[in-house]
Amino acid sequence: MNRTLNTRAALTPSLIVIVGFLTVCPVVMLIIGSFSEGLGAFGSFTLEKYTLAYTDPAFAGIIINTVIFTIGSAFVATGLALFLAYLNTRTNIPFKFLFRIISIIPMMIPHILFSVSWVLLLNPSNGMINLLLQEIFFLEGSPFNIYTLQGMIMVEGLLDLPIAYLILAPAMASFDVSFEESSKVCGASNLRTLTRVTLPVLRPAILASFILVIVRSLASFAVPSVIGMPGRIYVLATHIYRIVATGFAADYGMAAAVGMSALAASITLIYLYRYLTSESEKYVTISSRGYKPSVIDLKNARYPLFVIVGILSFILIVLPVLVLFYTSLVPYSMVPSAKAFSMMSWRHWIEVLKDPISLLSLRNSVFLGIVGASLGVTLSVFVAYVIVKIRTRASGFLESLSFLSFSFPGIVVGVGFMWFFVQTPLYATIWALLIGYIATYLPYGIRPLTSAFVQIHSHLEESSRVCGGGTLYTLRRIVIPLLIPGVVSGWILMATMFVRELTLSVVLSRPGTEVLAVQIFRFAEDGLWGQLSALGIIMIFISTTLVIIASLIGARLMKVETVSQ
Amino acid sequence: MGIRIEGLNKDYFSEGKRIRALADVDLTIPAKQIFTLLGPSGCGKTTLLRCIVGLETPDSGEIAIGGETVWSSKKGIFVPPEKRGLNMVFQTYAIWPHMNVFNNVAYPLQTRKEPKKDIIEKVKKTLRFVQLEGFENRPATKLSGGQQQRVALARALVAEPKVILFDEPLSNLDAKLREETRKELRDFLTELKITAVYVTHDRIEALALSDAIAVMKAGSIIEIGSPKKIYFNSDHQFVADFIGRANLIEGKVRAVDDSYAVIDSGIGAITCPKSPDTLLGNTVSICIRPEFIKVMENDTRESRNIFRGKVDSLVFVGEAYEGDIIIGATRLFTKIESTFAMSAGDEVTLFFDPDHCFVLSK
Repeated sequence: MNRTLNTRAALTPSLIVIVGFLTVCPVVMLIIGSFSEGLGAFGSFTLEKYTLAYTDPAFAGIIINTVIFTIGSAFVATGLALFLAYLNTRTNIPFKFLFRIISIIPMMIPHILFSVSWVLLLNPSNGMINLLLQEIFFLEGSPFNIYTLQGMIMVEGLLDLPIAYLILAPAMASFDVSFEESSKVCGASNLRTLTRVTLPVLRPAILASFILVIVRSLASFAVPSVIGMPGRIYVLATHIYRIVATGFAADYGMAAAVGMSALAASITLIYLYRYLTSESEKYVTISSRGYKPSVIDLKNARYPLFVIVGILSFILIVLPVLVLFYTSLVPYSMVPSAKAFSMMSWRHWIEVLKDPISLLSLRNSVFLGIVGASLGVTLSVFVAYVIVKIRTRASGFLESLSFLSFSFPGIVVGVGFMWFFVQTPLYATIWALLIGYIATYLPYGIRPLTSAFVQIHSHLEESSRVCGGGTLYTLRRIVIPLLIPGVVSGWILMATMFVRELTLSVVLSRPGTEVLAVQIFRFAEDGLWGQLSALGIIMIFISTTLVIIASLIGARLMKVETVSQ
Repeated sequence: MGIRIEGLNKDYFSEGKRIRALADVDLTIPAKQIFTLLGPSGCGKTTLLRCIVGLETPDSGEIAIGGETVWSSKKGIFVPPEKRGLNMVFQTYAIWPHMNVFNNVAYPLQTRKEPKKDIIEKVKKTLRFVQLEGFENRPATKLSGGQQQRVALARALVAEPKVILFDEPLSNLDAKLREETRKELRDFLTELKITAVYVTHDRIEALALSDAIAVMKAGSIIEIGSPKKIYFNSDHQFVADFIGRANLIEGKVRAVDDSYAVIDSGIGAITCPKSPDTLLGNTVSICIRPEFIKVMENDTRESRNIFRGKVDSLVFVGEAYEGDIIIGATRLFTKIESTFAMSAGDEVTLFFDPDHCFVLSK
């Protein structure tokens, strides 16, 4: 009895120490680093790096770019999400299942590959759409140039569409229709009702989605690096990357100093988001009465609007994979034609599979995916247990601590960890990446597990004890089987995140610890699109395989109990 | 197998305040009876049950089940719940959603590693007993509320526990099903002749199911008795009030004879059964239940407990009128046959049998 009490009592503080280290360490190191002279020279306090960073004549332009890029993406993502959520929840548009796909599948496609596919389509020198339009309309130059702020905003907006949709669709669905009905009773048209009643009432949800997209695009590295950098358009994330990875000498102090403003902006925004979402619960817009929202008949607009949705899902899901696969087979960028098909070969695939660095990155990423996700989920199980089942002030603290890393931009966390790892033998090992990954993506593991624990009512454990099952027996037959769905989804989320991880890796990865996304990024920098595409498809394949294996194992483990009579 | 509880204490700390969940509880639960702990929410009845089963540890005191001490603060004994040989039906039923009916019911036998053949045999027998024959392979999630309740009961019964405990097992059922299940449960338990401890806040459940009822309030047991004793002749005002609607009238004892006492009260002289408290000159409280107050058409042979009053309000609730009748400054709550012709404002004659009212001791 006493022993179990002691282990329980020790659990919360030790988890606070571990999670605290993972989330707070990079931030603390970032702060210390920003006031130091250089990696390994902590001793002397200096403001030199701040002066250097913020008197840089290019800095103002970077801030302006960042603001336009993040706000622009927020407009694109939120606007599109509103359109889709409204069509799905409030109208009689056909094939509603497509909306679920739109909201989930794009998360499966790594951001870097999505960005690359748009570069392949719209780059000014040999983008496929550009070439096609030139051929058809006999144009002199390329009609589109992806390497612009508009291009970045469009791609980032599409990438963040799912997250905006996941916030807006539930709000739209639980919306009290009597507001709208009373507006219509007053004689207002559908459109007028939409603009004067529906949208204002949804304002908290719209603002929340808007802010969350800003946070995401502020932390985004794939789009700014693949699309922005070739066009010499720098935002905070790429500016930090430029400071540590290019030029004559990497300056981690200056990177830390710049990172401080990205971190501050991000934390402020998340704080604002939390405030808004808690505020929106106060509005009594969500009625518990179970009636269905009135459905608006789109009449003749039904199919034209559906075509728009269809095109959107094509752009979001099918096109990127198709473009990559096509590019991996043709020798150089060309418009699909009879000639292109005749020249197709597995050449790029063979090159990639013979390239030692690509193979190494493949091995590293698979290792990080499997081992990292397993360790991450193990930690998440304990953290979620303490958060849900041991409700003390300390466990509340652990909860806020473990979700803190949501608001840290990956590249900033990377720079912070760099300052830490350089002091340890972990520097330039795969373990540095592993620790960094778990620290950054811990919330993705904890979320599904907290909901799993919430479902295990204490009576389910207690009744097992009363039925004669000891602690271990109860754990084996009741608690663990009920946890498996949560463990599996947590593992899948973490593993897919780890296999595709780019932002943190570009900072922490060193020769010997290359990972898939970084290798793809290098290919993009060198313009080796064919090999990039082949490796990209392999990456998607690996993610999918891991997802399938995890689901199968989960299904297997859950089946055992119901069959064994 | 009886249960003996001595000097049990348990405190909770909630928002910096100390709440006494159990205050020096002494209790003996006789074997092979249905014993009910009844009380309002927060009175400590569930805490007491959870202490008996071992899911909660008291601060001090002693619990013995069938002569074996399972918890003692002085002797430092703590037998974990899985070794106490009890079973329990939870308020939420606690049916494991990842198992089918067979595995749910077989669980207590599986923990004891009984031979597979015996397990199948016993589960089958128990499922037949609770009228769920052939449900073995049904997933637990595909059961109705009433069926889940019976699976929970089957699981509690299958290993033939010494004592079976019920924590408000009917409160999650809808009103009609609750009534049916209550009857079934009564039949099951009488047939089994098993010691059962039943926790509820529902007085009808308590009256209908129990052999004995212990009424609890603020961590203490106020009164123990048979359902009839508790209903017709409770000693405490709290108990009288909690177990059913009650009119409580204060008065002074004017006369006492061999079996009755006459009490002067606000509505007149009341004749009621004599009790140790009805000493001449004492001030006592008399309890009269609404359903025993009758409205008389005209003067009757009765000479005792006849009162004249005015109908203040009358609500038709189907099987009866619920009427407030005013006598002097006292308001009496009554239940009158719904066929009786009367309306608000009428003057009526009331009567109640002296044997149907009783004196509260405190």
